[in-house]
Amino acid sequence: MSVKRKNKIDNGIAETEEALFMGNHAVVQGLLEAGVGFTAAYPGTPSTEIQVRLAKLHEKGQLYFEYSVNEKVAFEVSAAAALSGVRSAVIMKHVGVNVASDAMMALAYFGVQGGMVIVAVDDPGCQSSQNEQDSRFWGKFAHIPVFEPSTPQEIRDFIPKIYDLSEKYNMLCMLRMTNFTSLSTGIVKHRPVEEKLSWNGEFVREIKYQIPARYLLHKGLHKSLKELVKDPLFDEFISLKESSSSSERLIITHGAIYPIVEYMAELYNFDGDILKIGAIFPLNEEKIAEIVKKYKYVYFVEELEPYLETEILAIIGRYNLNVTVLGKEKLQIPYENSLRPDALKEAFSRIVADPNDDSVFYEIPDPSPLPKIFDSEELLIPRTLPRLCDGCSHRGAFYSIKKATGEDFIIPSDIGCYALGQVQPVDVGDYWLCMGGGLGTALGMSKVNGKKVIAIIGDGTFFHAGMPALLDAVEYNHNITLAILDNSLTAMTGGQPSPSSTTWKRKDFNPINLEEVVKGLGVKWIKSVQAINVKENVKIVKEALEYQGPSVLIFKGECIVNKLRNMKTPVKPLSIDQELCTRCGNCLIDFACPSIVKEDGRIIIKQDTCTGCGYCAMVCPVNAIK
Amino acid sequence: MKENKETVNIAFLGLGGQGIITLAKMIATSALDTGKKVCYNEIHGLSQRGGSVQSFLRLNEESSPLFASSDVDIVVGLEKMETLRYLYGIKEQKPKVILLDYFEIRNTNYFGLEVFPEEEEIDKEIKERAEELYIFDRENFKKQFKGNFIPYNVGIFSALTTFEELGITEEIGEKIVKKLLGKNILLSQVNKKAFKEGKKWIKKI
Ligand SMILES: Cc1ncc(C[n+]2csc(CCOP(=O)(O)OP(=O)(O)O)c2C)c(N)n1
Ligand code: SF4
Ligand code: SF4
Repeated sequence: MSVKRKNKIDNGIAETEEALFMGNHAVVQGLLEAGVGFTAAYPGTPSTEIQVRLAKLHEKGQLYFEYSVNEKVAFEVSAAAALSGVRSAVIMKHVGVNVASDAMMALAYFGVQGGMVIVAVDDPGCQSSQNEQDSRFWGKFAHIPVFEPSTPQEIRDFIPKIYDLSEKYNMLCMLRMTNFTSLSTGIVKHRPVEEKLSWNGEFVREIKYQIPARYLLHKGLHKSLKELVKDPLFDEFISLKESSSSSERLIITHGAIYPIVEYMAELYNFDGDILKIGAIFPLNEEKIAEIVKKYKYVYFVEELEPYLETEILAIIGRYNLNVTVLGKEKLQIPYENSLRPDALKEAFSRIVADPNDDSVFYEIPDPSPLPKIFDSEELLIPRTLPRLCDGCSHRGAFYSIKKATGEDFIIPSDIGCYALGQVQPVDVGDYWLCMGGGLGTALGMSKVNGKKVIAIIGDGTFFHAGMPALLDAVEYNHNITLAILDNSLTAMTGGQPSPSSTTWKRKDFNPINLEEVVKGLGVKWIKSVQAINVKENVKIVKEALEYQGPSVLIFKGECIVNKLRNMKTPVKPLSIDQELCTRCGNCLIDFACPSIVKEDGRIIIKQDTCTGCGYCAMVCPVNAIK
Repeated sequence: MKENKETVNIAFLGLGGQGIITLAKMIATSALDTGKKVCYNEIHGLSQRGGSVQSFLRLNEESSPLFASSDVDIVVGLEKMETLRYLYGIKEQKPKVILLDYFEIRNTNYFGLEVFPEEEEIDKEIKERAEELYIFDRENFKKQFKGNFIPYNVGIFSALTTFEELGITEEIGEKIVKKLLGKNILLSQVNKKAFKEGKKWIKKI
């Protein structure tokens, strides 16, 4: 079937301007130049800036964008566009792919008509995530070509080519980024795109969507993969940097850390060649074997898992190549965390050493596998951990929950700013697993431990993955209380709208009424309170806890960051009347806003950080805070 | 160890909300405007204020914005504890350190931890680890401005332009302030003044 193309497509050659682009913005530029008219996403750092910019382009009318309710839905709306011949993109963080994967695995079988790319941004080092899974593995698992650029320029250059391949072979593709490529800024040559990109398409029914014998589609997929690797365009995603002298040594690495590897190679005067693999899946076996066989020693430098190492070792075996391979273990490259230059020092001292000198390749014992509180022993410098902002409304809800529950309760929390309630001294919440996982596990916890359990969730996470678990609670009358901390925002990822946002102005957006949804799911006990009424709310939390069966308590409050962003008047910080203050410590220890500190035996409010939110004044038993 | 002598490697260390990324962006934009190669990277966690933020910038370089700590030329610190933490990682040499800090040391109280280094101790340690140490006199800078809005961003950017390695001329500097921050007329007035004032308050210790 042929598709009529409405949007102008750039092959990435026309370059008329230079500008500084961060990797995430280079993604948007690439999408524009590839003529992508339909986009959807679910918020998640480090992919945020891509989404924010697409939302702006939607506002301007240049393309279609939506923040979908979760990644699976985002994937599905985009898939429909691609099935209807429209080039589409769906953007999410690495763990979002887990949520979207059910649809993704199946769409790979269908194939696409308009090119479709899933942009997955990994977070090595878990800077803002629940894990640091390596998205390169999806390629092999889901049979989707995976590409991995290394610089903002390469991101912009790759994308139009990926769309060409996606369309030519009707394959869904993945652009795998990491926090390094996403958040690196560089000078990018590009062609500014001003024209409107159409998102109108036409779905044409095909017999292959309907046949029950799906394994035939699986068969077709393998055939396409074999054809794809032979495409000359596909070759452009692999490059070999040759040193001036002919060398016995080859480093094999992948796009996301290539710039760092290249830098380290220079720093350590590495005299060999470097193979950069920007097409992670499928691998062009023949070509790789051809390259590898010229060397005596092959070193693998990879962030996170030894993916290429395992795959290419198999190629080396199949082609019977006579090379010595030094990888993760021999080079002592950590499996965890992002690979910054300092983390590669040991590896590079080994790479430039004599490969036959066994004394170099010993195993370094891990001095302290457990997280430390102090970073350095020279002066005791504590770790800087994230914490709830000064003036965050969640702190009000935590105060009431803490006072109502005492020590006895199991308190599963969830993913969002409120997960930081677990950090001392606020200390509300026992764990966070994955989005919606707090409520889901709460059901089992209450059953197995034979008592009421109170789960904490945000409005964003509730809509994303909490609703099915709440339905389950109603269905089996699980003895749980769900506290929904509703700031009508997806705050943790930078303040994107949530389905219940009333402040998001967009013509086609209808804010969802949270209470009605909860009622609609069949919950009988439901109350909505203002989080700032901290003392009254203690009683209401207790009532909710006493109720046998599922009860839902909604705490309403504002995200202070968002409030300050939109505030027209200057902040008015509060202060403590030292005459009235009895030094009870309620505000300092139990409420624990970071602006409240102890100084010379007095409790004071730091005037340069206080946001004037007024919560602490509600906590003080003698009304000393004004 | 460095091959390319022209490259200038700068590390910015501080906390969320201090404007580290804006500062890096201003330096990078100036470089682009003078026809230099440049790249930078930002490392930060969540969107809350107060988390640790780092940015690494390289002038006359375009591939990897990250560099080994042994290869750093200038350390720009916006918060002392974060700065010292980074300096502790450098064993091989002493860099030039520019302290633009305008936040008090944070009173964090994680894990009920009460042990915090004294400010004088931190200052001493930083000084020991710096080849040259420069400090921005924030109190005196602050005094030049009435009202709620103190344009620190521009002030510290201005202070940085006094370092020749960065190659930012008066003219380019002013242009960048206007381009990146000067949309509102009232603000642009204050920013202009801040750009004039900032460079007066950076002193070698
Ligand atoms: C599967 C998945 N998608 C996205 C994210 C990124 N993420 C972290 S917290 C969050 C939602 C926060 O919103 P909400 O629950 O309303 O809490 P708030 O931060 O507003 O307090 C998201 C989307 C994630 N961790 N996992
Ligand atoms: S960003 Fe908003 S919701 Fe998150 S901690 Fe800060 S104030 Fe609270
Ligand atoms: S008013 Fe109180 S709770 Fe709010 S930011 Fe200021 S000190 Fe913190």
